[in-house]
Amino acid sequence: MRFFESEEELQEKLKDFITAHKSQMGLVSLEAPLISNLPVWSNIALIRQYHQNMSWHEAKATVDGLLHRMGMASIAEKRNPALTKEERFCAMLLRAAMVQDAVVVLDKPFGILTNLRDGHFLMHILHKVDDLIAEAHIFDYSWAKERYGVTADAED
Amino acid sequence: MISAIEQIGRFTLNTSSSVGGTLLFAARVFLRMFERRSYNSASIMVFINQIYFTSVQILPLFLFVAVIFGAMVNGMVFQLIKKIGQTDYLGRLLMGFVVTEISPFVTVLLVALRSSSAINAEIAVMKVNHELSTLEIFNIDLIDYLFVPRVLNGILSMVLLSSLFSLVVLSIGLFVSSVIFGTAADAYIDTLLRSASLLDMIILWFKCAAFGFFITLIPIMLGMNASQELTSIPVAVLNGMVKVFSAIIIIEVLSSIVRFI
Repeated sequence: MRFFESEEELQEKLKDFITAHKSQMGLVSLEAPLISNLPVWSNIALIRQYHQNMSWHEAKATVDGLLHRMGMASIAEKRNPALTKEERFCAMLLRAAMVQDAVVVLDKPFGILTNLRDGHFLMHILHKVDDLIAEAHIFDYSWAKERYGVTADAED
Repeated sequence: MISAIEQIGRFTLNTSSSVGGTLLFAARVFLRMFERRSYNSASIMVFINQIYFTSVQILPLFLFVAVIFGAMVNGMVFQLIKKIGQTDYLGRLLMGFVVTEISPFVTVLLVALRSSSAINAEIAVMKVNHELSTLEIFNIDLIDYLFVPRVLNGILSMVLLSSLFSLVVLSIGLFVSSVIFGTAADAYIDTLLRSASLLDMIILWFKCAAFGFFITLIPIMLGMNASQELTSIPVAVLNGMVKVFSAIIIIEVLSSIVRFI
């Protein structure tokens, strides 16, 4: 987890981090929304279809399996505006996890999950996909530390 | 006086910069169409969807227009031919005017009105919503994933729909000729085939391909020019459609010059 005092500092560090991990970057952020004219499954499958030329049948089966694992099989055909905050976050996380050896970055996740008070859902959902991702990093403001249950100043 | 000259200069610079930018972008997309990496499962899926939206969904309206237009044009052509007694020119008139000029023109107008505006708005909305930058974050090349499938669809749809339009109009011509002149089907087809020129057909296919290329490329380019504000979407669509119609006129004029001079 990386916490920052100001928006400028956070954006600068995030930009540097994205540049340093460009080929493995799996960003979950309000700045990287789901593609609105694609259903959820297609948003997630797109990464492997494009980078690994995975056939759409195979990609669809993979995504269906992952959505089932998350307990969200029903959102496969939904589009972005029809999703709840949790569903949208899961879809964005799965899309990020589709990147090969993904370095997943959660950019101010409570900006997406505005209805949550703490990070339990976040950690729970991250554990469900930990076999798919190489690293996970959270970028957020210092004042949000408590929501993650972090008290020390040191970065984790 | 100086102000007027300045305005002319500014207009000339803006126009040449705009045309230069369009041609440069066209060259980039055109070259990418021949690269193997542009074709993957994701871009092929986009291509199939685009073909469905452009060539299949339009069919009821398109066939209706083709039948109405075919009946009207054939009725006028046959009545005129009958009045002036120049039946020898029937095939030439149908192949040289209806097939090579009218069919691609009506087709490009219908496709541009429906698909170019949709593509323009779609790309502008994607730009405003940060969806284009999302694709770039995930290392998805916009030209490969978004542009090449749409431009290829434009080319293929234009060639196929224009051919379909010609087929419908000529079929109506067969019906009208048998009613007015009592011509047999094989004689009518023979007249058309004798009037068909290979050069005309080649120019026709190139013209359709050029129409398809530019009526999809220009909306993409203008959609990309939208800013991050919602109010830039209608402006992008408006500018895009004006440029699409300018491109249609330019291609039509150039093809006529090649054909007749």
